[in-house]
Amino acid sequence: MNDEHKTESNDQSWFEKKANVRLMIIGLIVTCVLLVLAEFTYTNDHAHFPEYENFMGFQAIFGFVAFVVVVFLGMGLRLIIERDEDYYDG
Amino acid sequence: MGSLKHLPPGTIMMLGALLLPVLAKFGKKVPAIGALVLSSISFLLFCFTPAGEFGNVELFGNTLNMVRIDSLSRIFGVIFHLAAIMASIYALHVEDVKQHVAAMIYAGGAIAASCAGDFVTLFVFWELTAVSSVILVWAGEGKGAYKSGMRYLIIQVISGVLLLSGAIMEFSAGEGLLFNKFSSEATYSLTSLSPGAQLVLLAFGIKAAFPLLHNWLQDSYPKASVTGTVFLSAFTTKLAIYALARGFAGTEELIWIGCAMTLFPIIFAVIENDLRRVLAYSLNNQLGFMVVGVGIGTSLAINGAAAHAFCHIIYKALLFMSMGAVLYRVGTTKATELGGLHKSMPWTTGFCLIGAGSISGFPLLSGFVSKSMIISAAGEQHMFWVWIILLIASAGVMEHSGIKIPFFAFFAHDSGKRVKEAPLNMLIAMGMAAALCVGLGVFYWGLYALLPSQPMIEHMDSHGHAHAEPYKPYTAPHVVMQLQLLLFAVLAFVFLMKTKLYPAEKRATNLDTDWIYRRFIPTGLEGLGKVFHTLDGVWRSIAVSGIGTTIATMGKFFNERGVLGRPWATSTMAFWAAVLLGAFLLIYYT
Repeated sequence: MNDEHKTESNDQSWFEKKANVRLMIIGLIVTCVLLVLAEFTYTNDHAHFPEYENFMGFQAIFGFVAFVVVVFLGMGLRLIIERDEDYYDG
Repeated sequence: MGSLKHLPPGTIMMLGALLLPVLAKFGKKVPAIGALVLSSISFLLFCFTPAGEFGNVELFGNTLNMVRIDSLSRIFGVIFHLAAIMASIYALHVEDVKQHVAAMIYAGGAIAASCAGDFVTLFVFWELTAVSSVILVWAGEGKGAYKSGMRYLIIQVISGVLLLSGAIMEFSAGEGLLFNKFSSEATYSLTSLSPGAQLVLLAFGIKAAFPLLHNWLQDSYPKASVTGTVFLSAFTTKLAIYALARGFAGTEELIWIGCAMTLFPIIFAVIENDLRRVLAYSLNNQLGFMVVGVGIGTSLAINGAAAHAFCHIIYKALLFMSMGAVLYRVGTTKATELGGLHKSMPWTTGFCLIGAGSISGFPLLSGFVSKSMIISAAGEQHMFWVWIILLIASAGVMEHSGIKIPFFAFFAHDSGKRVKEAPLNMLIAMGMAAALCVGLGVFYWGLYALLPSQPMIEHMDSHGHAHAEPYKPYTAPHVVMQLQLLLFAVLAFVFLMKTKLYPAEKRATNLDTDWIYRRFIPTGLEGLGKVFHTLDGVWRSIAVSGIGTTIATMGKFFNERGVLGRPWATSTMAFWAAVLLGAFLLIYYT
């Protein structure tokens, strides 16, 4: 365990340093906020479903919720279909 | 050139493949170079073959059209050639000659099939792709590759038999042998098609990995060799998409079949540990987008399906190449055993990220300019639920291919594995694919020029009048909304990781429909055998005891003391003879 820890701390890359991870997350959040605000800069006249597409942040909320739902559905599916790794070999 | 055009495109690859074993005498790596040369020459010849119908042959009084090159077969022919060239470069280090022979026959067969104008030619090359590609599965080094290959072969051959059966039924009904769209309507229901056409659709559906018919893909592709999977990912399923676009554009049921295909694999992909198997589910999900496009059947949708097949072949090959490089260097693609590889395989990491960005549909990358066409086609037809499902599927793609593949292989927790970067030939092939992903995303008009027709989209103006204009992927709303969808999905991932709600990778087998023929049917047959064995035993013991009882009873009556066996007194016999005689006389005279 100690050895593993030693290896990790010895050759940590830029992506593994905690400060940089925090920086990336902050950058992501700022970009996300800017993307929602960007909707003020244009009008979407060619929307096929204007009531949804022109609802501010529609695809943002949709992307977040859909992602979470897909992951949770996967966790539920795991309860049904998960077997030992050598299930077919046994 | 004049007479060469009468031969199916790809013929030079198929025939040249047979000479590759001879080249092995000049050096172990010469056949690999030979395969690359064959793919390149075939591509050049294909580029110079004009559009038209060639290679007409009379067979039993019917005309076969072996070569038909129009805009639809052209785009598939071009991308199949490009895939063969990239995969051949990726496989330049392979010394196993049989893999090169199989790969060239397989790729050549797929190219020839995509340019076949009649069902006989299509069937021949359809089956040739099946029997040649299985060798790439068998070349896999992991356990279970042989059995998996057998299952793959059986299912692929069944597809070919169904195709032939359907074509014969169509021919018997007087429809001829030429392979064209089965209905003259723009949109129509599956039930309006003849039984022969329905069988052909089923044959295509097996190869296109329709829901419940899909699991040969996730079963076999991850078990194939490192380079074999790259070839496999390009041809079989996209040949099926081509065939669907040619024969069944506008079949309404395909829209919902495609929607199901986009959804179920993303849930399976979340919990799958083998990253090459995750990519196989991802492939299935991408095929769903194309099947939806074929089902919608409008000009924009068919263009979208063709464009998406083109882009998909490149970024999917790129992703399989990057995971192949990991398998080649580390020896596994199980997420539980990977992580931190960006430090030792930085180039592979970079190329994988470009592939992941492309499949997710980030602007300036190829998936953005093709997938959006299919989603817009659903919007154009006011198919609200189809549009919603495709958006959910897009977020799902971001989960398994955009994040899971690169994150768990190259980042996540450092596995401590320090390996060499991928070999140079692999890096060159990945670099080419990555450059094409960026190139197609930026210079999208080049791709659009290859499409069956110029992509146009209809809009309603403020007066409620519809007007069509050329499809433009890069509009401010489209770019902003797509980025919102993708980056908020990434935000959701960060949220789930930080709150430790994201499911940890686990070493496990996840059941899918292959469970039916790998476990349920064999176990069911075994159980049925046991039931019959027990019933047989019971029946036999009843019969034996019945016979024993009968013999004992008979013995009781017929032994020396039994009623029927003991000796009778002469007086008794005389008495009964007199009674019988008396009875006879009485009956005779009355």
